[in-house]
Amino acid sequence: MNISPDEAAKALQEIETSREAMRRAIRTHRGHVYLWIWGGAWVAMSLVNWAYDQGALRANFWISGAGLVATLLIGYVQGRQIRSKVDRRFIGVCATLLMFGYFVWPLLLGDLRSYDFHSYKAAYAYFTVLWMQLYMVAGIWFANFWFWIGLAVTALTVATLLLLPALFWAVTLLLGLVLLGSGFYVRYGWR
Amino acid sequence: MNELDPIIHQPARLQIMSALCQLGARARVDFSYLKDNLGLTDGNLGAHLATLEARGYITLEKEFVARRPKTFVAVTPAGRLAFAGHVAALQSILQPR
Repeated sequence: MNISPDEAAKALQEIETSREAMRRAIRTHRGHVYLWIWGGAWVAMSLVNWAYDQGALRANFWISGAGLVATLLIGYVQGRQIRSKVDRRFIGVCATLLMFGYFVWPLLLGDLRSYDFHSYKAAYAYFTVLWMQLYMVAGIWFANFWFWIGLAVTALTVATLLLLPALFWAVTLLLGLVLLGSGFYVRYGWR
Repeated sequence: MNELDPIIHQPARLQIMSALCQLGARARVDFSYLKDNLGLTDGNLGAHLATLEARGYITLEKEFVARRPKTFVAVTPAGRLAFAGHVAALQSILQPR
C-alpha cells in the first residue's frame, strides 16, 4: 500500500483529532469528580470538627455516608460509558486494608474509644491515614496521581498532629481545599 | 520496517482505532458513547467494528446493564501493536530520506 506524503500528513492529522476527542471524553471519567466529592466532604468534616470537636462524630458519619452514596452513584453512571474490568486483586487489597484498619488492629490493640489515642484528633488522623493508604495503593496499582495525594495528605496529617496539634483542624480544612483544587486541576488543567 | 495497514487506514477505522488506543489497557467503551464521540452512525460504526473484530484488532462484548443490552468495545494488544505500526509507517513517509 502506497500513499503520498500529503495523504500521510492528513491521516496523522485525523488521528490527532480523534485522539483529542477521546482524551476530552476520558478526562470526564478521571477521578476529578471523586476529588470534588471527598474534598467537599473533608472540608465539611473539618469545619464541624473544628466547631464541635468530638461532638461532631455523628455528623462525620453522615457526611462520609453522603460521600459514599455519591461515589457509588457516579461510579455506576460512569461505568455505563467507559468501564474498566474489575480488578479483583485490587479490591481484595483495599478490603484487607480496611478490615485491618477498622476491626483487626482496633480489636488487637484495644477498643478505639478506650485505647490511649490521646485525643479525638489522633483518632481522626488514624482514619484519615487509613483511607490515604487506599489512595496510595490505587496510585501504585494504576500508576497515577492518587499515590502522591495519599502520600502528601498522610505526611501533612501526621506532621500536624505531632508537631502542631493546635492547628490540626485548620490543616485538615486546608487539605480538603487542596483535594477540591486538585479536582479542578485534573478536570481543566491536566493534559 | 513498519508497513501501512489497509484495514486501519480506512478513515473511519483510523478514527476508531486512534480513539480506542487512548483508553487504558483494561478499559472498554460503550458502543453508543463511542458513536457519539466519533460522530458516526450506528450502522457505519457497527460495520467498521465488525471488520476490526474479524481482524482481531478489537473485541466486542455484549452484556446487560440495568436490563438493557449494551455492547462494549475494547482494543486488543494485537490492535494496539498494529495501530502503532501504522502510525510509525505514516510518520516514516513524512520523514526526509
